[in-house]
Amino acid sequence: MASRSIKVDYIARVEGESSLALDIRNGVVDAVRLSIFEPPRFFEALLRGRGFGEVLDIVARICGICPIAYQMSGVHAIEDAFGIEVDPPIRALRRLFYCGEWIQSHSLHIVMLHAPDFLGYPDAIAMARDHGAAVERALALKKTGNELIRLLGGREIHPINARVGGFYRVPSRAELDPMAESLKRARDRAIDMLRWAASFPFPEFVREYELVALRHPDEYPMNAGRIVSSAGLDIAARDYEKEFIELQVPHSTALHSALKRRGAYLVGPMARYALNRDRLPAEIRALADEVGLEPRCRNPFRSILVRALEVTYACDEALRLIATYEPPARAFIPAEPRAGVGYACTEAPRGILYHCYRFDEEGTILDARLVPPTAQNQAVIEEDLQQVATAGLDLPVDDLKARCEQSIRNHDPCISCAAHFLQLNVHRI
Amino acid sequence: MNEGEVPRALVIGVGNPDRGDDGVGPAIAHRLRTRAPSGMSIFELGGDALALIEAWEGFSIVILVDAIEPTTKPGEIYRFDLRDSQLPITAMPQSSHAFGLAETIELARSLGRLPQALIAYLIEGERFETGTPLSPASERAADLVADKILAELATINKAFRAGAGRHA
Repeated sequence: MASRSIKVDYIARVEGESSLALDIRNGVVDAVRLSIFEPPRFFEALLRGRGFGEVLDIVARICGICPIAYQMSGVHAIEDAFGIEVDPPIRALRRLFYCGEWIQSHSLHIVMLHAPDFLGYPDAIAMARDHGAAVERALALKKTGNELIRLLGGREIHPINARVGGFYRVPSRAELDPMAESLKRARDRAIDMLRWAASFPFPEFVREYELVALRHPDEYPMNAGRIVSSAGLDIAARDYEKEFIELQVPHSTALHSALKRRGAYLVGPMARYALNRDRLPAEIRALADEVGLEPRCRNPFRSILVRALEVTYACDEALRLIATYEPPARAFIPAEPRAGVGYACTEAPRGILYHCYRFDEEGTILDARLVPPTAQNQAVIEEDLQQVATAGLDLPVDDLKARCEQSIRNHDPCISCAAHFLQLNVHRI
Repeated sequence: MNEGEVPRALVIGVGNPDRGDDGVGPAIAHRLRTRAPSGMSIFELGGDALALIEAWEGFSIVILVDAIEPTTKPGEIYRFDLRDSQLPITAMPQSSHAFGLAETIELARSLGRLPQALIAYLIEGERFETGTPLSPASERAADLVADKILAELATINKAFRAGAGRHA
């Protein structure tokens, strides 16, 4: 049987620029290459020589969709290096801030980027003609997430209010109360979105991943926790580089991450949920049961359900945080820089985001290392593609392409986040 | 809208004022703020384009102003009536994850949430570097577009008043 190649030159409905190539030889998928041609952005090098106080403004610009994740991993790593412990109300406000990002990012992905795959539309614009209510619901959810981000961060894109030790300004109770009304409506909308997504036809597909997520003693993880895996890994963020490695691959400007001992692993909502379902409130678990979301979902096409469940949880959690909020006595703890290394890992909407900074005694960055979730998921995305393509070899080419693209979007990849890491090697002769 | 009232108009300046000619939309919005006639509102959009759908709720006439990448001549002004036609997507830098201006307009069309009149003025930029001011070509275009918008709204309002007079 002749060989054939299938190419998708530009993958739509993902953040950033990438393409896909499949080589099929004698009826077997011989090679899969998710090529990321987004130009490298050199953020780690750009951070070198900068003061600690500039980090949050710089890293927020890595991603327009998840700037809070970058700010939170950054701020925790800096505070780890300087030995700063923030006050409990500041910790609660940071979690509330993160809830806003989960709500807006997940809602955008679920309805605008991923749902059209399941319902057979080329995009959300075409889908909106037949599913207007679902799209309006997503717009309203996204707006609520953005409002929460704006309230705590000053603006929704590249927020400006987070700082080392806390916030520049903290909200009053009177400012938060109207947000609660919006969040109650958002919670109802999120439940409707979950039930809507549960009605989609899901391809039969099962993968056994090593799942990696944060785990906290009593919280569903966002800002804090140890890095754990379904294969028994249990480490602090400072040990991340002992267990994980980043590898350059020829076809991508993004590095591929791997567990040093076991290779590919999955981060993101499926991993977070499977490893932390017991940290969700009973009513959220009941919703998962109602829509048939198994405690450990192994079908990546069903990750859309986990995202919708997490939107519901983020609304719930934000309401709880607002109800118990007492404005802190001080908006921030002054930072005293010192020489050292700081590490942090937080749960971005797409999975764990690792930051490490080495500072001199004045708090100037000597080295920075940032590992986004999409870089970590690239290997499993390619493995998924290999299996999805193998299972769909009999499909017409356009259908196979569509199924492969849907498979990539299962992981909500943020390509431009992942493309910061190309090393520039200059050989002088 | 009550009879005799002029239609509510909204001018939306899209862009980042800290990125050279990308700031031409907000610059036009600034020029209009001091000259806005009764019934005209101004909105500046620097972030999520999807926010437009809500921003123009309740307005009959919406005029968008934005910069585009240079193709022929910096400062060139293009006008599109978007009520019955699409913004030519190649004229717009494609947003990827975030919905861009063209996608947002088409989404609103699908949802039946376009205003009665939707007009876009696009201005070819020359430089988009961080921290740079508008180029002289964009400054001139901003003055011209501000005048064009005021003239266009005056014509629409006049026609409306004449129409309302006939019904009175």
